[in-house]
Amino acid sequence: MTVPSGPASAEVPAVRCRSLGVSFGTVQALHDISLDLAAGRIHALVGQNGAGKTTLAKALGGLQAPDNGTVCIAGNQIPPGDVRAAKSAGLAMVHQHFSLPPSFTVAEALELTAARPESHSVYRRTELYRRWQNEVAEVGGTNVLATRIRDLPVETRQSLEIVRALVSEARILLLDEPTALLTPAATDTLFERLRGLRDDGVTILIVLHKLREVAAVADTVSVLRDGKLVLGPSEISGVSQGQLSDAIVGPAPDADRAIAVEAAANAEQQLLLELVRVSSRESAFEPGLASIDLAVEAREIVGIAGVEGNGQRSLVSVIAGLSAVTEGSVLLGGEEMTSAPPARRRLRGLRLVPFDRNSEGISRSAPLWLNQSALRLIGRRRQFPLISLRQYKRQASEAMDLWQVRYNTVAQPAESLSGGNVQRLVLSRELASGLEVLVAAQPTRGLDFSATNFVRSSLRGLRDAGAGVLLVSSDLDELFELSDRLLVMYGGSIVARFNAPYDRQAVGDAMTGALR
Amino acid sequence: MEQVLATTLRSAAPLVLVAMAGVFAFRAGIFHLGLEGLMISGAFTTVAIGDATGSVELGILAAIGVCMTLSAVYWWVIGPLGANVIIAGLGLTSIGLGGTAFALGAIFDIRGSMFTDVVLPRPVRGATSGPGVIISEHSILVWITPLIVLVAWIVLRRSRFGLRLAAVGEYPFAARSAGVNPSIVRLQALLISGALCALGGAELSVGALRNFTENMTNGRGFIAFVAVIFGAWHPIGAALAGLFFGFADAIGIQSQINITERVPREFVLMIPFVLTIFAVWLGGLWRRRTLEAEAGYAELREPDY
Ligand SMILES: Nc1ncnc2c1ncn2[C@@H]1O[C@H](COP(=O)(O)OP(=O)(O)OP(=O)(O)O)[C@@H](O)[C@H]1O
Ligand SMILES: [Mg+2]
Repeated sequence: MTVPSGPASAEVPAVRCRSLGVSFGTVQALHDISLDLAAGRIHALVGQNGAGKTTLAKALGGLQAPDNGTVCIAGNQIPPGDVRAAKSAGLAMVHQHFSLPPSFTVAEALELTAARPESHSVYRRTELYRRWQNEVAEVGGTNVLATRIRDLPVETRQSLEIVRALVSEARILLLDEPTALLTPAATDTLFERLRGLRDDGVTILIVLHKLREVAAVADTVSVLRDGKLVLGPSEISGVSQGQLSDAIVGPAPDADRAIAVEAAANAEQQLLLELVRVSSRESAFEPGLASIDLAVEAREIVGIAGVEGNGQRSLVSVIAGLSAVTEGSVLLGGEEMTSAPPARRRLRGLRLVPFDRNSEGISRSAPLWLNQSALRLIGRRRQFPLISLRQYKRQASEAMDLWQVRYNTVAQPAESLSGGNVQRLVLSRELASGLEVLVAAQPTRGLDFSATNFVRSSLRGLRDAGAGVLLVSSDLDELFELSDRLLVMYGGSIVARFNAPYDRQAVGDAMTGALR
Repeated sequence: MEQVLATTLRSAAPLVLVAMAGVFAFRAGIFHLGLEGLMISGAFTTVAIGDATGSVELGILAAIGVCMTLSAVYWWVIGPLGANVIIAGLGLTSIGLGGTAFALGAIFDIRGSMFTDVVLPRPVRGATSGPGVIISEHSILVWITPLIVLVAWIVLRRSRFGLRLAAVGEYPFAARSAGVNPSIVRLQALLISGALCALGGAELSVGALRNFTENMTNGRGFIAFVAVIFGAWHPIGAALAGLFFGFADAIGIQSQINITERVPREFVLMIPFVLTIFAVWLGGLWRRRTLEAEAGYAELREPDY
C-alpha cells in the first residue's frame, strides 16, 4: 500500500474504503460501505436526500470520523477524522454548504484554506491580493478579494468554494452537489473544467441529483440508498437510466404524490400580489430594482427567469419585506404593504421559500418542531397566549411526515438534517394553510428526483386551489413546465414577458439582454 | 491636566493588557469571564515570588507560568470536559479572587495588603511639573504596552495564525475543513491570553504600586472584557476602549481630589461607571449594523466545545 499515486499507477485506487460505518445516535447514516475509486476518472455518486452522500464524502475527506472501517487515499491510510492527513494525501473537498467564515474577506479565506507550505507566518494585505488575484478572476474579478464572504451571493460563494478546492492543486477532488447553485451555463463550464482535470490525472468524486448531469460528466456511477451502497461503481455506459433510478428509489417508490394544500382561496380577490413601479437600492452584487411592475393573480404561476444576479434576489427580498423600497408600492391582496414588516405580510397570506435555506430559511440550532411551527406562532396576538407544546410537536411531525422529511426526533436541531431535508422542512412550513401567495426561490434546489416532482405537483396543486405563485428559478425546464406566464429579469428590470408555449431561443436572448 | 493624562496612562495600561488577553480569547470564540481571576493571580504571584527572590523579573515569569497553567486548566474544563464557558470563566474568577486572599493569609499570615520592595523599573522619572509629568514615573510595562498592542494586531490581523484563530472562533467547521484543529487553537489562544493577564496583574501590583491587596483588581478584568466588546474585538479598538476607561478612571480620581467639597463623594465615584455605560451605548449605536450582520451568523457556531 505504499505505491506512490499518479497516472502511472492506475491500479492503486485513488480512494479506497472498507466496511465504513457512520452513525449519529440511532441513525445509521452509512452502513458497511466498501468502495474503490479508480484514479484519473470522474465518479458520480447519487442517491435520495438523506441517503448518506454528504456523510460519505466527509468520511473520505477526514471531516467525519467513522465508527468503523478504514479509508485509504492514494494508498495512504487516513487516521479517523484527520483532515490534514487527507489533505496531504492530495484530497480536497467542495462542501454542499459553504465552508468559509462569513466575516473573512475572500483573500483571507483563500489564504486560510491554501494547502501550500507557508513561507512567512506574517503577511501584508497587498501580498494576499496579489497572490489570489488570478484565482478569483472568474468569480467576479479582483475587486472581489476585499469583499467579505457574507456579502457574496450564494452562487458566488459556491463558485468560490470550487475555486478554493482547485487552487490547492489536489489530486483527488470530492464535490458535494456543486451544481445545485449553478446556472446551466456555469454547470457546463464546470464540467468542462472537470474533464480537463481528469485528463491531467485528477480523480473526481461528484455528488449529483440530476441524472442528465450524471450522463454528461461521469465515467462511473455509484448509488447510495439508506446508507448502503446499492450499485457501483459501474461504468456509466453499462447502466441504463431506468436501472439507475430504480436503484436510487428502491423497491417501494412512492407513487406520484401531490400535497393537498388548502390555499386560503379568496373568491372576490383576484389580484394577490402587485408591485407598482417598485425601485430599490442596489446591493453589493446585484442591481436594485428599476421601476418594476408585476402582478400575480389567483390561480396562476408566474415564472421569473434570468441569469443569476440580475435583481431576482432584490425582488424576493422586497416582496418579503426584508429590504426597503425606494419608490413605488407593494400590495398584497389589494392592501398597501410597502413598508409593512414581514410578519404582517405573512398574516396577509404571503409565504416564502428563500434562496438560501440554511441562513434565511431555518434556525440551524433550533429544534425541528420549533422551526416547523414558527409560522403558527406569528400573529397569535388575538389568540389564547398559552400554547400546547405537545400539540405543536405533533402538528410539526405530521407536516414533516407528509413531506417525508428524514429525521430522528422532532427535538433534534435543524442543522443535523441533510441538505435536501432542510429544503423539505422549509417547504413543509411554508406550503401549509393560510397560503394565498407563494414566492418560491429555487424551490427544487438540492432536492432529489422524486422530491422535485413532489414540489412541482404541489405548486400546481396550490395554483389549482386558488393561490398565486411567483416562481424564481434558474432552471429553464422547470420554468417552462410550470409557469403560466414568464417574465425575464435583466439588470434589475423586467425586460420581456412571455406566454406559453415558450420559445427557448427568445427567452434565452432576453436573459442575455439582447432585447435591450 | 498633565496629572490627569499621566493617571490615564497608568490606569489604562493594565486594562489594555488584559483587554488584549480578552481579544485573543474572543477571537477564538471564547467569552472569557475568567480574566479578572487570572489578573489577580498574576498580581499576587508577582509580589509573592518577586518578594521571596528579590527579583521582579522572576516574579513576572512565575506569574506568567501560573496564569498559563490556570488557562490550560480552564481550556481543559471547557474543552475536553465540556463545561459551560461562561460558568467556568466565572469560576476561574472566583478561584483567583478567593485563592489569592487565602494564600495571602495561609502563606504570609497577612490580611488585607502585602507590601514589597520589588518594583518594576521606571525609565523616566523626576518631573514634578509641566508636560514631563505625563510620561514620568511610569513602569516599563506602561511603555511597552503600545508595542504589545501592535504585536497583537499583527498576530491577529496579519498572520496566518490569526486567520486560523478567527476561523475557529467564527465557524469551527470552516477551520476543521481547512485542516485546523479547533481545540488546539483554542488552547494556544488561552495560553497567550493567560500570559497577557499576568502582565496586566503585574503592572497593577508592582508597576503602579508596590503591594498586593485582596481584591485589588476591583472589577478591572470585567471592564477589560467590556473594552473587548466595545472595541469590536479588534486589538486597536479594544486598546482605545481600554485607554478611554483609563481616562474615565483618571477623571474620577482627579475630581475626587478637587471637587469633593462641592459634589457628594458618591457621585464622583460614579463618574467612571456612568462614562462606561455611556460609551458602551454609543459604541452599540455605531456598530449596530455590523452587529446585526454578525448576529445572522451566530447560528453557524458548531456546539463542539
Ligand atoms: N450531525 C448529524 N446529526 C444527526 N444526524 C445526522 C447528522 N448529519 C447527518 N445526519 C443524518 O444522516 C443521514 C445522511 O445525511 P447526509 O447529509 O449524508 O445525506 P445526503 O445524502 O447528503 O442528503 P442530501 O441529498 O439531502 O444532501 C440523514 O438522515 C441525516 O439526517
Ligand atoms: Mg448532502
